[in-house]
Amino acid sequence: MNADEIDAEIRMLAAGRRLPPSHLARWLAMDPASRAAMLEIARAVRLRTGQLMTALETLEEIAVREHVTVAVVLDHPEIRRIASGPGAAPSRATALLEAIRTLRYPLLKKMQENLRSEVSALKLPRGISVVLPKELGSDDLTVSLRVRSAAELAHLLEALDRSRAGLARIIEMLGGKK
Amino acid sequence: MKFDLDAVFVEQGCAGSALATRILGALPRHVPVTHVADHETREAARPASGVRDPFGAGKRRMVIARRKTPFLAPCHAGSPRFACCGYLVLTLASNCPMDCSYCFLQEYLADNPAFQVYANFTDSFDELDRLIANARGRSFRVGTAELADSLAFDLLTSISRDLVEFFASRENLTLELKTKTDEIENLLGLDPRGRVLVSWTLSPDAVYRSSERLTAPPAARIAAARAVLDAGYRVAFHLDPLIAYPGAERDYGLLIDELLDTVAPEQISFISMGGLRMTPGLRGAARSRFPGDPMLCGEDVLASDGRFRTFTPLRLGLYRTLADRFRKAGAGIPAYLCMEAASVHENIFGAPPSRPATIATRLARG
Repeated sequence: MNADEIDAEIRMLAAGRRLPPSHLARWLAMDPASRAAMLEIARAVRLRTGQLMTALETLEEIAVREHVTVAVVLDHPEIRRIASGPGAAPSRATALLEAIRTLRYPLLKKMQENLRSEVSALKLPRGISVVLPKELGSDDLTVSLRVRSAAELAHLLEALDRSRAGLARIIEMLGGKK
Repeated sequence: MKFDLDAVFVEQGCAGSALATRILGALPRHVPVTHVADHETREAARPASGVRDPFGAGKRRMVIARRKTPFLAPCHAGSPRFACCGYLVLTLASNCPMDCSYCFLQEYLADNPAFQVYANFTDSFDELDRLIANARGRSFRVGTAELADSLAFDLLTSISRDLVEFFASRENLTLELKTKTDEIENLLGLDPRGRVLVSWTLSPDAVYRSSERLTAPPAARIAAARAVLDAGYRVAFHLDPLIAYPGAERDYGLLIDELLDTVAPEQISFISMGGLRMTPGLRGAARSRFPGDPMLCGEDVLASDGRFRTFTPLRLGLYRTLADRFRKAGAGIPAYLCMEAASVHENIFGAPPSRPATIATRLARG
């Protein structure tokens, strides 16, 4: 397909998805390789309207930050694997957005993984839950107990006390200590 | 004049004012001047419809007007959510000829983008005198940089001269002139008597080049700080917004080294830090005006105060690194965080923040 044909296909897909004009304009403002790559992936995983909007916005942000084109971002092995991999289109679309989000927030994703590992390593009994702040948007760590008897409460408090050092480490990690 | 103007509008009621006379006398001949009825200023100064970037165009249209509301107010950033530094704001102008991609004025002044300067600014001195008369024994730090840069256009307005003269004669007031310019000519040769501090927002070169259009380069800001220090002023520095881009720790560290090579730690009145924060509206406006600025595409998430901020461990890690760097430099430079919760303050500095009035007095007296 030449550039005009690709643009016509993009307009057709955008019309079918009722993509807002501002997002269509952003898409068409990309370099030719990026326009085509975006079209290919939108079709491959059948991105719905909201997914397409999120993908366009997030990919642009990655491209600006990394000083590359959207086509280069979409050429990432994980994204290519999802685009050409097996499975139903809706689940691949979800996986694609998650992969794009990981590229957009690499340090956040890594920190969330580290913190989740720390929480798992505590091996806390059922009845104690440790909830990290949403998207690490604050330094609040929520620790809650669910009990039905005094004995259960005593058991959980003992477990919590044994995990004091680990919990303190998690709080310090949330507070930016390395 | 270091900044370009496309037009000047003078409210009729201000036509004979000292400020208007001063500005029109110093204005380059090619800049058109229009006198407008007082109630028509806003519309007359509005950039023509169809202009691609009305906010940017408004920055080059100066309005000399009469301020009808009080000049003095508590800092608008104050909120029960945040530890407060007790800063008081004196609004003598509104908008800024520089154009930083992250600037909150893009949202705050979106409907009224012309650069306004208030001809009746000396009325603010009465407000300040009432303030100290009603709070004997307390000291106040008063700044003029909430809605404007304190020194941008100062070569045209010379307002800094009036301010220094007034504050130099008031024992319990400290003026903070906060700027990203090196427009300090008017300050040199005056005697501030220890009651005026000039502060600079500092950013690494990478942020300056990417996001701070028309500002003075960081090295020029530091050199200007040295010059006003030698002229008898106190100096302070704001690392705000701190932007957590790749390489930020190294670049901010180099910036601090450069600063401390020029200004000794014991000569710095205080340091403030504040992470980049944007309401969703500002984020949209900024990205629309500066779509290619990588500094606006950091790892920011929607925080509990409704602003996009760098996710907490990364932001606090950067605060901690820089606070340690200043701590190691010695001299115990007073430091505070802007628009952060008390828990964050305690996390970084190891102690909860003092009450706003206590901090204000400490920062004012130096």
